[in-house]
Formats: sequence, C-alpha cells, structure tokens
Amino acid sequence: MQNLNRSHPLTNRDPDEIIAHGPGGEISVSQFITHATELAGQLPDRPYVINLAADRYEFLLSFCAAIIAGQCTLMPSNRQVKTVQQVADDYPDCYLLGDMTLDNLETHDADFTSPPAGSGGDIPDIPEQQLCAIVFTSGSTGAATPNRKYWKTLRSGALGNADALLQGQTAQLNMIATVPAQHMWGFETSIMMPLFSNIAVSCITPFFPQDIVDAIESLPEPRALVSSPVHLDALLSADVNHVHIHRTFSATAPMSGELSRRLEKRFAGRVIEIFGCSEAGTFATRKTASEELWSLSPAFDLEITAEHVVIKAEHLPEDVILNDVVEWAGERQFRWLGRDQDMVNIAGKRGSLADLNHQLTSLSEVVDGVIFLPEENSKRLAALVVAPGLQPSDILEQLKPRIEPAFLPRPLYIVPMLPRQETGKLSRKMLVGLFEQTRRIKTQQDEGSTNS
Amino acid sequence: MQQQSEYEHEVAELIVESLNLEDVSAADIEPEEPLFGDGLGLDSIDALELALAVTQKYSVQLKADDANVQEVFGSLRSLSAYIAANTP
Repeated sequence: MQNLNRSHPLTNRDPDEIIAHGPGGEISVSQFITHATELAGQLPDRPYVINLAADRYEFLLSFCAAIIAGQCTLMPSNRQVKTVQQVADDYPDCYLLGDMTLDNLETHDADFTSPPAGSGGDIPDIPEQQLCAIVFTSGSTGAATPNRKYWKTLRSGALGNADALLQGQTAQLNMIATVPAQHMWGFETSIMMPLFSNIAVSCITPFFPQDIVDAIESLPEPRALVSSPVHLDALLSADVNHVHIHRTFSATAPMSGELSRRLEKRFAGRVIEIFGCSEAGTFATRKTASEELWSLSPAFDLEITAEHVVIKAEHLPEDVILNDVVEWAGERQFRWLGRDQDMVNIAGKRGSLADLNHQLTSLSEVVDGVIFLPEENSKRLAALVVAPGLQPSDILEQLKPRIEPAFLPRPLYIVPMLPRQETGKLSRKMLVGLFEQTRRIKTQQDEGSTNS
Repeated sequence: MQQQSEYEHEVAELIVESLNLEDVSAADIEPEEPLFGDGLGLDSIDALELALAVTQKYSVQLKADDANVQEVFGSLRSLSAYIAANTP
C-alpha cells in the first residue's frame, strides 16, 4: 500500500552550490534555505498566496517560503489586473506578494533585500501530497482553468527534466529565462530545475534582443537560455553581439528545424525543444536541428487511441488528454502530425476556435462570422464577419471583454457573406481565398486614400 | 485629441504597418494613450515585432532594464522620444 505520509526534501542540492545570480551576486543553496525558512515565518497566516514577483529569485524564494509554511501559490495566466482579480475573487483566503495592489486584497511586503541573520539551517522535508501550486491556463474566453500541482508532481517533474534537458551535463549551468516564472514553461525550468539540478538561475527576465544578450554576457559559462520561438527569432533577426549559449530550451510554440539550425550556429551550442502542457509539464524532447521525432521522457507513457492521445505518469494526479495528433515512430518516439483542428496556440495561449466563433456569432448584430488561422504558422488569428452597418472596430470593441486578448482577430474584415456550402460548412480553401481577396481590395483602397 | 508631431506621425505609421493594424489609421493613435493594455491592446508578440521594426528603421535597440515593456511602449509620445534620444 502506498505510504501517504512520505516526504522529500525541498532541494537535493549541496549547501555550497550556487542556486541563483541575484542583484548582489551569487546566492548559495544554504543562504537560500536560510532566507526561505526565515521568510516562511513572516508570511501572513493564509492558505493561498498569489505570487507576482517579477524578480525570478524573489519568486523562487517566496514560492519556497510558502511551501515551507504549508501555503499554496496561485499563478494567474498573466499579470493583468483583471486576471489577477478574478483569481483573487475565486480564492478569497489569499494574499498577494509582488508589485500590485488590488481592492479588498492584503498585499504582503516581504523583505527580500536584507540577507538572513544566520545560515546553514536544515533543508525542510515536504510531504508528497502537499498542494504547492495552482497554475491557471486561460483558454479561449480568458476564463481560468486550475491545474493543481502537488509536491510529488513538481519534484518528479523536475528530476525528469534534469535527465531529459541536461543530458549528462554536470557542471553548473547558468540559466536565463525570457519567459515569466509564473508561466508553466518558465516555472518548471527556471524555478523547479534549480532545486533539483546543478543550475544557477538569473534573477532577471530580459525581453528585447539587446537585453537578452546583455543578460547572457553577465553570466559565466556554460549558459542555458529558456525561451520561445518568438523571442529566439527576434534575437536572431536583431543586429546584436553573438554570444555563446551552451543549451537553449524552447517551448510554447512549434519551432522549425531551420530556426533551430540557425540558432545552433549562432550560439555554438545545442537547441533542445520540449513538448509539454500545463497539465502534464514537459513530457518529450527533441534536438530540432537534426531530429524530427520526439523522444518520450522516461517517467511518461503515451497512449494513442482512435479518439485521443493520452499522457500518463505515476507522478501525475490524473491522465492528461492532449489536443494534438501524433503517431508512434519508434521505440518511445513519436511524430507530431498536427493539432486537433479546433485548437490554436497564439502567444503561448491555447484556445478553441469553436469557442471563439461562438463568442463572435453571439454578438447581437453579427449575422455570420468566422475566426481562423490564415496560415499554418500565422502568429495571429483573422476573421471574416457578416455584419451590415458595423465597422470592424465596433466588433472588436464588443469582443474585447469576451475573449482572451491574444485571440482578438487581426485583421478583421467585413464581408457581404461567407462562402458556406449547402451543409453550412466552410471549406478552408474558399475561406482563405475570400480572405486574400478581401485583403487585396483593402490594401488597394488604403493606398488609394493615401495618395488622394 | 492631442496633436501628433511630424516625427510622432512617422512612428505611428511604423506601428500600424509593422503590426498590421488594418483597422487603425496612424493619425488616430492618441500621442499620450497607452499603446499596450487598454490602449491599442498590444501584447508581447507585438512588442517584439515593433522592436524589430524600430531597429530596422532607426538603428535603435530597445531596452527594458526591468523587463517592463509597458514603460518603454508607454505611449506613442514616449516611444517617439525614446527613439529620437537613442538614434545614432
């Protein structure tokens, strides 16, 4: 029978190793543990905390302090006031850590700057079944779906990632992440991995290409970069110094082999793409520059049925159904064939076209309309709408409160009618044809009006 | 509405062009309204696209010391001033 009272230490690192590069220099595991334990004793006595710390070390510190205090960290899908407010309304027992104040919500000013009084405290043991985090994913309409993360899941995930991503690298790896700590991808790499592998993470989150290069240059080698294809593409396109990056980890959107090869050449290091989702975490990897097939990480099993693709693992609280179509292509290797036709991924957010179209066609003066991805690799959605008398801006105004901002269609064109077949279906070919034609006419009109 | 300067209008045209804001005309962008969040509703993908366009046109690398993109792109006016001040 399973022992429900099992526990595991907060970190398996040696006390003298470096866990972070803070504003004041390197921070050892022992300093970190002392600081986190001290902070745990100062936190308000509440079961939930929303951690909005922008400084990555502050996030790590307060996240671990909350775990030590037996509190669960809530991670909203973005930092917009209304998103945070929605989470706060659903968990009235929570308080806030970070640089935001909300009505009716206690904000705790944690002391991150003054170093802890002592050092060398014991590493706390955390029960396997302790609920440590709830990660919210936003979905099409922006309504939050909670994903519960127990200590067992987080710890096993981090140990698995150490194997899958580091692939035998044992020297201290100095990590920079361009994705926020509160997003699942940033969280499992830049927060959880430093607790269970020889990684020292930088406290800053650079955004623009020049910022990323500056941040990387400030770190000793070997370095690791946690990012997304959008950030990496911008970095390659910018005219900035070439820096050496030993390992680049990319997720949130599919990466092309071509981008991956250009990155490996520029950084003189290896690029590893990960396959994962908020519910399961990282479960497969590939070296995209030379590999098309994904390798399933050891802790996971994949089940392909006629209806679904299901991810299973002993450390997950439940099986996870994927919105992707895959096929086996070797021993524990699979090929990605595409996404479920209904699902789109924009700016790292996953949404359902059926949901979005429902929101669009529910608007009172909209007669018909469709939101779609104009090209396979489009960064944005587009829309064609039948709405006599309305301007595109009227429709966008009405859509704004109803759907997640990343999914707002751009462009949105008004058309006399949609090319529906007798069954009511829209063929993709005709849809894209009408879209291209409308765009050409619009461009000509714009040029005409500029010249007049 | 506040008046756009000639330089601001040029930057506004770059914004509309580089982000395919087909429903917005450059002249309609309020100089002091936020470009992101509640203003034009731009997000981080737009910030990167716009940063790239600014670099290509003005040879200016945008920087955000505290990763606060909203501040760099606070408004058309602040972005234009930033570009003007950093153009080599």
